Amino acid sequence: MSRRSLRRTLTGIWWLTLLFLYLPLAVVALFSFNAANSAASFTGFSLRWYERLMGNEEILSAFANSMILAIVSSVVALGIGCFIGYGMYRHRHRKLGWLIVLIYLPIVLPDIVFGISEMAFFVQIHRLTGFLQPGLGTMIIAHVTFQIPFVALIVYSRFVGLDPALFEAAKDLYASPAKRALHFMLPTIKPALISAFFLSFTLSVDDFVISFFTAGPESATLPIYIWGAIKKGVSPEINAVATLMLAAVAIVAIASLLFSRRRPV
Amino acid sequence: MVRESRHLLMTVAPGASWIVFFLVLPSAYLMSVAFMSSGTYGLPEMPLSLESFRRLAGFGFLGWSPGNLYTLLRSLWQTLVATGLVVAIAYPIAYHISTCRARWRPIMLLAVVVPSWTNQVIRTFGWMNLLAPGTPLSSVAEALGLVAPNMGLYPSNFAVTLGLVYNFLPFMVLPLYAAFEKLDTAQVEAAQDLYASPLRAFRHAVFPQTLPGLLAGIVLVAIPAFGMYVIPELLGGGKGMMLGNLVANQFAGSANWPLGAAGAILMLIATFIGLFAMRRIGKRLGGGEEVVI
Repeated sequence: MSRRSLRRTLTGIWWLTLLFLYLPLAVVALFSFNAANSAASFTGFSLRWYERLMGNEEILSAFANSMILAIVSSVVALGIGCFIGYGMYRHRHRKLGWLIVLIYLPIVLPDIVFGISEMAFFVQIHRLTGFLQPGLGTMIIAHVTFQIPFVALIVYSRFVGLDPALFEAAKDLYASPAKRALHFMLPTIKPALISAFFLSFTLSVDDFVISFFTAGPESATLPIYIWGAIKKGVSPEINAVATLMLAAVAIVAIASLLFSRRRPV
Repeated sequence: MVRESRHLLMTVAPGASWIVFFLVLPSAYLMSVAFMSSGTYGLPEMPLSLESFRRLAGFGFLGWSPGNLYTLLRSLWQTLVATGLVVAIAYPIAYHISTCRARWRPIMLLAVVVPSWTNQVIRTFGWMNLLAPGTPLSSVAEALGLVAPNMGLYPSNFAVTLGLVYNFLPFMVLPLYAAFEKLDTAQVEAAQDLYASPLRAFRHAVFPQTLPGLLAGIVLVAIPAFGMYVIPELLGGGKGMMLGNLVANQFAGSANWPLGAAGAILMLIATFIGLFAMRRIGKRLGGGEEVVI
């Protein structure tokens, strides 16, 4: 194959793959504007599913649950994870194999095993003690558990990237540990904390399996609501909710592109 | 030294104990459930027994049935096929991105990754819309005689494979792209100077250099694919069930916690064998270079 035809083939594969990647999403968005009731054919443009959405209390409460879950769990994970990240950096010369295993465990455990372990555990604790009733509380605990490793690893890699002389300088200037933490450490890892927060938030909003198994009857999030609606028989309203979620992702994607343009990575 | 140890404890202890209490203990509990008997509502009960493993292997009240074995083989097969297809698509894509102009590369990578930022349930729902009976894609397949009339392309095993490939493609493109980006082209030129055929040049100068990325990608794709729950549940129907569904079902409707826990143990064993095997292969073939997972 000549170089030119190879080039042309690759470009062809590239555009086909893009089509493959975006077609299902485009179909969801298209049918959210469908005037007809059925998902089989597109009969005309209408916003009726979006109007129905605004009056649907179940969807609004699922949205609120998703947001509460994502924000609370991300804040807690940030608080706990950044200390681990710092501890891992400070003591990186010691043998920390057990800690590495602990940190990678939530990442490598299959979602379904993760979710079912927690669900079985929570159910039994609840039966024995009355604590940990399935609901937003148990979901927050589960989400924090899978967010901690990502926060810790991001904060750790930020510290590793710093010049060790900076720590010496802060010490030489007789700054107290508290002052060092507040005026040196916190500002220097701020970018890492921000990206760790956004990653945690995204992971939480994106998660379905673990939420599904740790949720209670009143704590459905948007993905759980959509799942239930699909299982019950497809209502076109799902397309509208899903499209709004896709739009949110698209906005984040464009924002991240603009951000990375401004500052070459 | 004591102060240092206390410092380590203070920074690491809250997070470490969180993971121990909310993940290590629960999974240890789940493991232990597999060795109990199934009581009322399928909840675990004493005495200890290996009944759950017998059930998992297909031995029930009515003698042996191959249902669970089929599920297991299907999980392995789907994982294998989906991973193979993902590699076949991701390899040229990653190479293509790495040869485009530098300013386009981040945008192209973003274009590949963005669909995976959307919720898995929504993505899979999109495929349900596309493959249902009566849709253009299904009609084409019917006209070609690939599926029976009015059956549509979903639910089916084919739909599950498609969903898996769709879901995991970005996880293969990223590590492969990273490998292609730092490809030492001098090796390729040397091969060409020595009149190596394109195939030989690829095999000896390009492929070994991309191997760490490929192995990392296989780990990122095959392990979660084997434990997949959402995609077979939505796209597979009754005959498309995978191990994840078998496990999950034991904690809902037809409850039998010990059987589900035994399935979970099987999944964990597969996961760790997979991780371990990839590390070994990576170490041996990559000339001692660690595979970053």
